[in-house]
Amino acid sequence: MGMNIQETIASPLVWHPQTAAEAWQLKQTYDIEAVYTSGGTLLRTQWESGISAMPQHLIDLSAIRGLNELRVGEAGLVVGGQTSLQSCRSNALLSRHFPMVTEAIRTIAAPSVRQLATIGGNVASSIGDSIAALLGYDAEVIWFDGTREHRALLSEWLHEASAAKRGNERLLLSVLLPFEESLGETPVSNGAEDLTSQMKRFGAYHKVGRREAFTPSVVTACINGVLTCSNVIKQIRIALGGGQTVPVRLEGLEKEISGADVDGQLLRHVYDRTIELFEPREDLFASAAYRKSTAANLIVSELWKAAKDNTKQL
Amino acid sequence: MSEEAVKSESPYVLRCFVNGKEELIDTKPAARLLTIVRDELSLTGTKRSCEIGRCGACMVLIEGKAVNSCLTMAYQCSEKQITTIEGIAVQGMDPVQQAFLEEGGFQCGYCTPGMIISVKALLDENPDPSDDEIAEALSGNICRCTGYGGIWRAVKRAAEGRRQTT
Repeated sequence: MGMNIQETIASPLVWHPQTAAEAWQLKQTYDIEAVYTSGGTLLRTQWESGISAMPQHLIDLSAIRGLNELRVGEAGLVVGGQTSLQSCRSNALLSRHFPMVTEAIRTIAAPSVRQLATIGGNVASSIGDSIAALLGYDAEVIWFDGTREHRALLSEWLHEASAAKRGNERLLLSVLLPFEESLGETPVSNGAEDLTSQMKRFGAYHKVGRREAFTPSVVTACINGVLTCSNVIKQIRIALGGGQTVPVRLEGLEKEISGADVDGQLLRHVYDRTIELFEPREDLFASAAYRKSTAANLIVSELWKAAKDNTKQL
Repeated sequence: MSEEAVKSESPYVLRCFVNGKEELIDTKPAARLLTIVRDELSLTGTKRSCEIGRCGACMVLIEGKAVNSCLTMAYQCSEKQITTIEGIAVQGMDPVQQAFLEEGGFQCGYCTPGMIISVKALLDENPDPSDDEIAEALSGNICRCTGYGGIWRAVKRAAEGRRQTT
């Protein structure tokens, strides 16, 4: 074992911008020779494995003020992009209001990697294992275009990133998690009908890998919804990803089953449509067909469990 | 662009504190901490193995938190307190090391420095960890010899020892 080969052939300059505008300007100046970096953990594994070469310039985002904290904003919980995954993992507010995000982060690498890795890096990669859980809560992202900040649904951000020829080069600043409607005694307006205490919120996040711990994902699946006491679906979000697949919401399926009773016929429909709509990328270890059936089984079983638990409580 | 957007370029002088001692190291800003501690500071207790953050053999403490030195770049260590396995025992054998000895928590010993560092970080933050918390804390440390039974007992013994002394 000798010195790491990348260290002998490349020595990037590392820039430490203090503001998003400075970071953006550096990226414009050095273009494809520069890469934004947060914790750098994913980049390092890509360099070591030869997937990508060390760039000539690294733009270190960690010094940008205000991006390494979680705070309650007007529209929800704002998670700064430079917040480490381990800080997210141990944050009480995140755990209380968005437990599936906490669970997703718990299954990412190990605590020692999460000390360096950031939520911004995980999201900006477009394939991070936190993304399915964030989609399950209808998360938004705040990003910078060189002159001003923009707010967009994470699902749209991902769609645009996967469609872009050069990948996702927008500067991600924060992730915004909107607080969910209370199902307490006060009815909450929800279109024609109300959400009341007669309804039950349910949700689950699963990561399936090839090992029990510290494993890259084969499939990530998140389901988040509300059932009435008679097991009618009032709200539903289904998000799937895993491996090199850019996570997606199955919005077509969500629309089809909103307002429907959870019964055997509906569960068969959910299974069939998940197989049809989810388009995972395959690799040498797991085929697309395997990933589809794994995802469909996870979603159907969680929907069945939610309805069964709901019936028991009556 | 403001003058605040400083850059770290080669050659680069890293100032940090390793095992309590100030160090000024001529290196490159993106050099790995693993290379620095082994090749520049001759602290070879930190082991080189997978080099992609999977095995935990290169674990060190940065500001008291366990971090993979193979993933950490020099500029990320600027002004930080770094503790390697050599720094764990400066005041005599650490109770975590003693527990690994007494419970046979090693065989070839290659993973042991990283294991000790991870357990030290865990118990410093959480003196009474649950089984799930131990499993999560050690999920980034791989041992190919022991089957983990001895390691598990060592963690339990070290935690028990701390409880008795506090």
